[in-house]
Amino acid sequence: MRQTGSPARRTLAVPLVLLALPTQAQAHMTAPGMGDFISGLLHPWMTPTHLLILLALGLWLGQHLPLRVGLPLQVFVPVSAVALALTTTHWIAVVPPPLIIAIALAAGAVVALEARLPTFAGALLLAVAAGAIGSDSGVETGTPFTVAKTLLGTWVGLGIGLINIGYYVSLAAERKKKWISIGIRVAGSWIVAIALLMLAFSLRRA
Amino acid sequence: MPPQNPQAARRLAFLSLLVLLLLPVTLHAHSERGMVGGFQSGFFHPLTGLDHIAAMVAVGIWGAYLGAPAMWLLPVIFPVVMAFGGALGILKVPLPGVETCIALSGVALGLMVVFAARPPLWVAAVLVGFFAIFHGHSHGTELPNSANAMTYAIGFVIATGLLHLSGIALGLLVKWPWGRILVRTTGGAIAVVGFGFLFGFIQG
Repeated sequence: MRQTGSPARRTLAVPLVLLALPTQAQAHMTAPGMGDFISGLLHPWMTPTHLLILLALGLWLGQHLPLRVGLPLQVFVPVSAVALALTTTHWIAVVPPPLIIAIALAAGAVVALEARLPTFAGALLLAVAAGAIGSDSGVETGTPFTVAKTLLGTWVGLGIGLINIGYYVSLAAERKKKWISIGIRVAGSWIVAIALLMLAFSLRRA
Repeated sequence: MPPQNPQAARRLAFLSLLVLLLLPVTLHAHSERGMVGGFQSGFFHPLTGLDHIAAMVAVGIWGAYLGAPAMWLLPVIFPVVMAFGGALGILKVPLPGVETCIALSGVALGLMVVFAARPPLWVAAVLVGFFAIFHGHSHGTELPNSANAMTYAIGFVIATGLLHLSGIALGLLVKWPWGRILVRTTGGAIAVVGFGFLFGFIQG
């Protein structure tokens, strides 16, 4: 057979042909084999409003040095545990979406203003956020064991997520660069802007 | 590497083009739906109007001209106030003279850059905030109903922030004499665009 074109060009044609192969459409991404615990662990990261609150609180914790890990450990972690546990008793009604968004807005505003809150006010913000996220993360179906595993995963995900964001933000803030502290405030203002728009959306739909 | 056989090279290029045409692509019949569609819709919304782009970039340029802390404070203030205006638009709260004020924002902010105006920080913040409400209101009113609220808002805010950043990057060129001329010329162009929209020479 007569060879045409350079070897490099012939090699180029192979990936092009491979790219042309039809692939399976992925309209609804699923995670086959994902366990209940992992599903719960990722829940705060897959729920945009919860993630927005975690980001804002993490930015707030990290922007004020030294990092106060005690506050989330003493307030956020236990309150979220109680709220998650209460979801199984159906004592808590559905948390209104505007309330969750308003918490994200408040937390973002605290970051944008670079406000160093008094311990009581900071604890209150963390408690309200933990209570709202926890109450909004109930599991509707499943056996008691699978529900418990999912809620446990959510609890771990919330605690680890918040402390990790705070820790990495504090590492950046420790560099004492002006643009980093401004960047954190800009991120806070973006969270406020996103929350404001979402609040308007949810009020319009209501 | 020079082609060993020009005819074969042409054939290969043609074949490659045909193969590229065969690539499976996503249908975009309802691009505003879903999370990705919402983000796309929100991200491109501020980028689709020349009057909006001009004003956002002008905010960044002017901020850089004013130097710290205005350079960073204006991009913190603008998204928040614009989102407030956006919320008013989403909730259908009427605001008079929206299009006129958007066009005026290009004129005012462009002229600030042209004349290298350095008012007190609070004056700059109030001026930028005032215009931000009208820009936000316009975006909020034009918002598609089918868009995913969260991702639309994220895309919208990020695109606005990137426009500011590009303005700041351009504004930082004032450190050099040629950069000063370029920046002030850009300010003049933004003001001209604003005038164009104000008097109807340019249609949105």
